Amino acid sequence: MAVVESIQHEATDRTPAVLFDFAAGQYRLAGESYPEDAASFYGPLTLGLRQSLEDQVSDEVEFTVEMIYFNSSTAKALMNMFQLLEHAAESGAVVRINWCYHVDDETMEEFGEDFSEDFVHAEYRMCPQS
Amino acid sequence: MVKRMSEAAARVQKDASALMAEEVLGFQRNMARRGIIFSFTGYISEGILKALGDALRQKIRLESTDNKTVNRVFSVFVEQVQNIIRYSAERIEHDAEPPVELSSGMITVGSDNGRFFVVCGNVVGRDDAAVLAARLRELAAMDNAELRRFYKEKLREPSEEGSKGGSIGLIEIARRASEPIQFDFQDISDVQSYFVLKAYI
Repeated sequence: MAVVESIQHEATDRTPAVLFDFAAGQYRLAGESYPEDAASFYGPLTLGLRQSLEDQVSDEVEFTVEMIYFNSSTAKALMNMFQLLEHAAESGAVVRINWCYHVDDETMEEFGEDFSEDFVHAEYRMCPQS
Repeated sequence: MVKRMSEAAARVQKDASALMAEEVLGFQRNMARRGIIFSFTGYISEGILKALGDALRQKIRLESTDNKTVNRVFSVFVEQVQNIIRYSAERIEHDAEPPVELSSGMITVGSDNGRFFVVCGNVVGRDDAAVLAARLRELAAMDNAELRRFYKEKLREPSEEGSKGGSIGLIEIARRASEPIQFDFQDISDVQSYFVLKAYI
């Protein structure tokens, strides 16, 4: 299969802006997420991430999440991607996760704290923004 | 004779119209008395979720509710409607392009003594109702810290066979609610039950 270099989507009302630059190891999700079908939206992203981590396409990986709201199916999709990232870090890759949220947003802060518990080998940063 | 009949018919027609307005107004006032902001009954699609969700956010933002409450009400609304779409036993599916997927149910949002509530109702299979009731009893007994831990635990687990993620959605609803979620079932046939879930935010 041909290697996809990047996946880029503009934000919509229900889906976040996506920039998955596999060659550069730069990943970003920003906005709101309650897709009609979370599996079909996040499936290709998860697959691309899995492949590029397995193929060690880049030396370093930086994954940034800047969400305002996401539904439970999106949380599941994020968890799947985070498990891939932690697994890659465990295997020796340099992985950093940035969890960005508005400083007043307790819900996103809580989610960020909860996701952080699963990272032992990857670096995980909480990034409150005003 | 014919003329007289038609006058009588016209009178009946007018009376019926008057009653119709009375009935509809009565219905609307009854809803307003119960604090209902909107209620939707019938076939629900993702498009309807989006449209109602937008209207809901605008309406509760206008009431100068803080962002936290707006987000919580919205989140409970989304999870409840997506549960209807995915789990209602009254549904129409058609492999058209784009595919038609409609599920029947009811979704109501309102406020009561300064607190918002979201209620959903839909038909489920009686076997599924038993499983759902057990799950909801478990959630209703948990405090916030337990719900937070349980949500996380479910996220880590591989998806259950045949699940569309609904169990995490129910935990999300319980987490955003300000008191234990209320639920009820009523059997409507040998094989089906009507399920209602109410969450105060």
